[in-house]
Amino acid sequence: MSKQRKWNPLEPFARTSLALALLLWLASTASALALSADEIVDRANQASYYAGKDGRADVTMTIQDASGVERVREFTLLRLNEDQVKQKFYAYFKAPADVYKMAYLVWKNGTSDDDRWLWLPALNLKKRIAPGDKRTSFVGSDFLYEDVSGRSPQDDEHVLVEESATQYVLENRPKDPSSVEFSRYLVTIDAQTFLPIKAEYYDHSGQLYRRVEALQVETIQGIPTVVLSQASDLIRGSITRNAFSNVRYDIGLDERIFTERFLRRPPREVL
Amino acid sequence: MKLALTNASLKRPLLTLLVVAVATVAFLLQFPRVNFDNDPENMLSAQEPVRIFHHEIKEKYALYDFVIVGIVNEEDPAGIFNVATLQRIDTLTRQLLYLQQGSDGLPEIRLPASSGQPERVQPLNLTPASAWLRLLNRAFNHDPNRLFTEQGRSAIIAHEVISPSVVDNIKQAQLGSLKLEYLMEHPPQTPAQAREIRDDAMNNPLYRGTLVSEDEKAICLYLPISAKSYSYNVATLVRELTRDWPQSDRVLITGLPVAEDTFGVEMLIQMATSAPMAGVAIFLLLLLFFRSLSLILAPMVVAVVSVVCAMGLLIGLGYDVHIMSSMIAIFLMPIAVADSVHILSEFYDVYHRFNNKAQTVRYVVGHLFQPMLYTSLTTIAGFASLAFTPIPPVQVFGLHVAFGVAIAWLLTMTLIPAYIMLFVSQEKLAQHPIASQKPDETSLLMRVLGWLGQVCYTASGRILVLALLLLLVAGYGISRIAVNDNPVKWFTAQHEIRVADRILNQHFGGTYTAYLTLAEVRPDACNCEEKAQRIESEARARFGSLFPQYTETLIQRLHQLSDQQRSVQGCDVNQCFYLLLQQARELDDQAFDGWNRLADEINYLDSAGLTLDWLRSALQAVAAESPLEVAHLFAALQADAGLRGEALLEQALAQCEKQMGQTFSAFVLEMQAETTAPPFKRPEMLRYVEELQQYLQGVGQVGKTSSAVDALKKAAYELSYVAPPTDADAAEREHYAALNRSHFAVPATAAATAQVFVQLEGMKKKDSLFHLVTRDYREANLWVQLKSGDNRDMEEVVAAVQHYLEQHPAPQEIKARWAGLTYLNVVWQDKMVKGMISSLAGSFIVVLVMMVLLFRSLTWGVLAMLPLTFTIALIYGLIGLAGKDYDMPVAVLSSLTLGLSIDFAIHFLQRARELYRKTGNWKTSCEAMFHEPARAISRNALTVSIGFTPLLLAPLVPYKTVGFFLATIMAVSWLATLMILPALLTRLERYVFRLPGEEEEIQL
Repeated sequence: MSKQRKWNPLEPFARTSLALALLLWLASTASALALSADEIVDRANQASYYAGKDGRADVTMTIQDASGVERVREFTLLRLNEDQVKQKFYAYFKAPADVYKMAYLVWKNGTSDDDRWLWLPALNLKKRIAPGDKRTSFVGSDFLYEDVSGRSPQDDEHVLVEESATQYVLENRPKDPSSVEFSRYLVTIDAQTFLPIKAEYYDHSGQLYRRVEALQVETIQGIPTVVLSQASDLIRGSITRNAFSNVRYDIGLDERIFTERFLRRPPREVL
Repeated sequence: MKLALTNASLKRPLLTLLVVAVATVAFLLQFPRVNFDNDPENMLSAQEPVRIFHHEIKEKYALYDFVIVGIVNEEDPAGIFNVATLQRIDTLTRQLLYLQQGSDGLPEIRLPASSGQPERVQPLNLTPASAWLRLLNRAFNHDPNRLFTEQGRSAIIAHEVISPSVVDNIKQAQLGSLKLEYLMEHPPQTPAQAREIRDDAMNNPLYRGTLVSEDEKAICLYLPISAKSYSYNVATLVRELTRDWPQSDRVLITGLPVAEDTFGVEMLIQMATSAPMAGVAIFLLLLLFFRSLSLILAPMVVAVVSVVCAMGLLIGLGYDVHIMSSMIAIFLMPIAVADSVHILSEFYDVYHRFNNKAQTVRYVVGHLFQPMLYTSLTTIAGFASLAFTPIPPVQVFGLHVAFGVAIAWLLTMTLIPAYIMLFVSQEKLAQHPIASQKPDETSLLMRVLGWLGQVCYTASGRILVLALLLLLVAGYGISRIAVNDNPVKWFTAQHEIRVADRILNQHFGGTYTAYLTLAEVRPDACNCEEKAQRIESEARARFGSLFPQYTETLIQRLHQLSDQQRSVQGCDVNQCFYLLLQQARELDDQAFDGWNRLADEINYLDSAGLTLDWLRSALQAVAAESPLEVAHLFAALQADAGLRGEALLEQALAQCEKQMGQTFSAFVLEMQAETTAPPFKRPEMLRYVEELQQYLQGVGQVGKTSSAVDALKKAAYELSYVAPPTDADAAEREHYAALNRSHFAVPATAAATAQVFVQLEGMKKKDSLFHLVTRDYREANLWVQLKSGDNRDMEEVVAAVQHYLEQHPAPQEIKARWAGLTYLNVVWQDKMVKGMISSLAGSFIVVLVMMVLLFRSLTWGVLAMLPLTFTIALIYGLIGLAGKDYDMPVAVLSSLTLGLSIDFAIHFLQRARELYRKTGNWKTSCEAMFHEPARAISRNALTVSIGFTPLLLAPLVPYKTVGFFLATIMAVSWLATLMILPALLTRLERYVFRLPGEEEEIQL
C-alpha cells in the first residue's frame, strides 16, 4: 500500500490505533493464512496502478515483431487518482515524428465504462471513442488498454495457488468467460512490494498464449516502481517493451490537464 | 546370350517364381509407408525462387491458406441479412473458434460460459458412416478427425478467422463518438439490427465483395488453416456443423486448398477403384480374344507385379504419391500386358511345330526378343525423358513408369517362361485345336483388316493425301492450343466443389487469391541534399517574412548538417533531424516565448462564466511580461465580443495558435515526418496504389482488390465524420454528406496518414492491417481476388499490371511481384509446357536413333517414327480444335503416345520386312500383313482403348481425360500404323525394300 495516509500526529487516539494496527499486521504476517487472495489482488492493484496521488513517466515503447523488425514510440504518460478507483490518464506522443503531439485521454470510471478521447494533430481532429472492449491493443503494441489502466479485480475470481516468503501466485478466472479471450491467468506477485512480476494468460483451449512481465523494478520516491515491462504475444511472436524514465510521483497535476482542451494544447510544463 | 534369362527360368521355373514372389512381397511391404501429396504447389521444386518468395510473403504478411465457406440465402427477402441466418453464422463462427482436442483425441467444441449460460461441450466425430469410406481412410492413412497440430493446437488459426463476428468495424456512435468493435459484435435480435450490420458491412470497402456479396445474398467466412492438408477435414467439419441448417441457407465450401485436398482424397478413391476396374476390363477383353484363362492369367500377373514394383519403389524411396504417380498403375498396365500377350499368342501359334514347351518358348523368345527389347526400350525412353522436365512429381512419375516397364520386360523374359513350364499342361496344349489359333477369316475384325489391306495398296495415294490434309488441319489445331489449368476444374461440372465455386464467384469478387506486392527499390536512399532543399524553401515560405533572422539561422544549421552527412560514411537522417530540432527549440524559445506563456495561461483558465473582461483581468500578469502579444490577442478577439465561457476560451486559444503559426520545432518535426516517411505512408504513393486498384478493377477476371489504402480511407472517413445538425434541411445535409465524402480519401500529409494508420494498428482484431502493409510501411500487399482460377486469366492480369506499371511509373521506384496459389499455378504450368516440349523433342530423337539402329537403316527408322508423329500431331490438333485446355494430364500423354505408338510401328515394319524377304514382292506381303500381324496389333490397340473406358466414369477430370485420350491415341496410332505405313511402303517399294540377299538380318 503506497497510498499516502495523513493523520494528525498530535491525536493520541490516532497513535494508539496506529500501534494497534501495526501489532495486528505483525501478527497477521506471522501466520501463513495472512492475506486472502482478494486482499493480495487489491494490494497488487493499488501498488501497480495507484502509486502516489498522481504521477508522470516518459515511456519508450519498442514493439518487436516476429521477424525482429522494431517500431519505437515515445510518449509521456500522466496519471491522476480521483479516488480509490477512478483515475485519469493522459498520453502525449513525442516520437516518431509523424505522430508528434498525438494525444490520448482516458477517464477510468471504475464500475461504469471508461471515457476516451483522441487527438490527431495532423488532421486537426479531436474524437471521442465510444466505450468498447478494453482488451484491445494499445496503439498497436502487445499491451492492452487494460494493461495500461488496470483490470478491475471485481472482474475475476482469485485463488491463491502458491505462497512463499518472496511471492504469491494467484490464479484468476474471469466471471464472464465469453467476454474475454483468456480462460484464466496466473499472476506472480512480489510479497514485499506487491507488484505483479509476471502474468501468464491461457486461452480457452488451455494453451499459454500471452505473458506480461515486470523486468526491472526501482524504488522512486520510496515507491517500488516497474521501470521496464514487457508483453509477449506467444502466438504471433511479437514482443513489446515499455521502458519508463523520469518517473515522478505527487507532482500536483492540475485536474484540468485531463480535459479535452489540453488535447489540442498539451501542458508543456509537465511533458 | 539373349536367351540367357529365359533359359535360366526354363531350367528353374520354381526358383524364378519364388524370386519374383519374394521381390513382389518386398515391394509390397513398402506400401504401408505411403504418403500422399496432392498439393499442386509441389509441382515446383522447394527451391524454386517464386515458391520461396510466396512463402516469404505469407510469413511477412501473416497470410494463410483459406478454406472459404460461403453461406447463400436467395429466399429470404432480406437476403443473407436476416436475423436467423446471421445468428447461425455467429454460432458457426464461435464453434470454429472454440474447436479443440478433447481428452480422447477427438475434436470437441467447448463454448465458454457466458452470462447465464454454463460452459457447453459438443463432442465431435467426423468418421464417415459408410463402411467403404472408413476402409479407404484406413487403407490410405487418412484420419478424418485430424484437425490439430502436433502441439494439439487447432488447425484453424482462430485469431485470423475472417467472419462478421470477428472482423473490425469502425462506426459512428452517440455524441459524435467513434466506436471500434466487431462487425457483428453480437448476433442480431431484430431485423433492424440485422440491417445495421448489413449497412456497416456494405460501407466498408474491405468487406463489400469479399466478406459480404454486393447483392446482399451471401456471406463468406475465410478460415485460415495452419497447413493445406487440413482443408478437407475442416470442410468436413463445417459440413457437420451446418448439417441441421435449413435448405434456404446454402453452405458452399471452396477455395484452392479445399479443391486440392479434396482432389487428393478422391484421387485415393480413384486409385482404389478405377485402376482395378481397368485391370478387370483388360482381363475380360483378353479373355474374349484368347478364350483361355490360363493364357491370359500370366499377362495380368505381369501387369500387377510391375505396378506393385513401381509403386513399391516409389514409396520405398520416400517419394510422396502425387496426382501424377497415382496414375502409374493406369499407365503401366496396358504397356506391361502387351509383350507377354505377344509371347503367349505366338507360343500357342507355333507350339504344334515343336510339341515341347521349352523348345517353343526358346523359339518364340528368340524370335521376338529384339522387337520386344526395342518396344520396351522406346517406351522407357519416352517416360524416362520426363526426368528432364523441371517438375519434380512428373520426373518421379516418368522414372517410375520407366522402371515398371523395365520390370514388365524382365518378367516377360522370365516369369512367362516359368509360368508356362509350371502351369500350362502339355495335354491341354496337345488338345488345343491348332486351327483356332489361326486367324478366323470370317470374323468382323479380319474382314475389316482384309478390306483395309486392299485399300491401302490400291488407294495408297489418296490415303497419303488424306493424311497430309489431316496433318494440315492438325497443325491449325495445334496453333490454337491454349495452355491452361485450374485445380478446381479437375472436378466435373456437377461436383460440389465446382458448384460452390460457380455460385460463390457469381456473388463475390472472386474466390481465387493472388497477392501483388509492392516494395521500395532503394530502401537506404538518403537524398540529404534533396531533403535540405525542400526544407529550406518550406522554411522560407513559412517563416521568412515573420522571423527572417531566425529562419536564416535554421537554414544555416540545416546546410551545415547536410554537408556533414555527405562527408561521413552512410547517413543518419534521424540524427540530423534531432540536431536540427535542438536548434529549432532554441529559436522557439526566442520567437514564441510570449505567445506560449499567454496560451498556457489561457489553457488553465476556468471557462465557466468567462467573459472578455474577465479574460483581460485574468491575463494581467502575463500582459506585464508580454504586452505586445496580449494586445494582439485582444485586438483579434474584438470581432467575437459576444462569445462566452468555453467558446471564448477556445477562440482565444485558436487565436494564439494562429498567431504562432507553427513553431520551428513543430516545423522540423513535420519536415522529418514528410521527408523521411516510408513509401506507404506517403500520400502520393498511396494515391498511386489507389489508382492501380481502380485500374485493376477494370481488368477482365479481377473481381475485387483490397489494400491498406482501403482501410486507410475508411478510417479517415470515420474519424473525420461530422454529423449534420438534427434540424438540418436537405441542402445542409447534402453539404455535410459532400464534406464527409471528401474525407473518404488518402489524407493530405504523411503525418496525417501515419496518425490514421496508428488508429488502425490498434483495432480490436490485432495486426489485421499488417496483412496489407509491412510494419515499417516499406512494402505493401494488394489482395487481388479473381473470379477464375484459370492460369490463363491469372496470366492476363499479370500482363495487364506489368503494362500499367510501365505506362504509369510510381512516384517512387517500386518493385512489383506476385505471390499466391493462383499465381504459383501459372508458374509451374509455364515450366511444365516448356519442359514437356523439350522432353518430347529429346525422347523423339532418342527413339529415332534407336529405330535407325534397330532397322539398320535411316529410311526405316524415319518410317517407324511416322505413325507416332502423325498421332501426336493429330491428338494435339484435336485438343486445340476442341478447345480443350492443355493441362498436366494432356501434357504427359505425349510421352505415352510416343511409347505406345512406336510399338505398333516396330511390329508392323519388322513383320513387313520379314514377309517381303519371303515373298519378294510387296503386294503379296501387304496382303499377308493384314492377316496375323495386323490382328495382333489390332488386338493390342483394342485392349488398351477399351480397357481404359472405366476411367471415363471417374468424377475427376484428369482421369477422364487420360481415359478418353488413351482410347483415342490407340485408335489413331492403330489407324496410322495400318494405313500410312502400308500406303507409304506401296509407294516407296522400290526405294525401301532391297533384294533379300542385300538386306541385313534384323536379328542377330
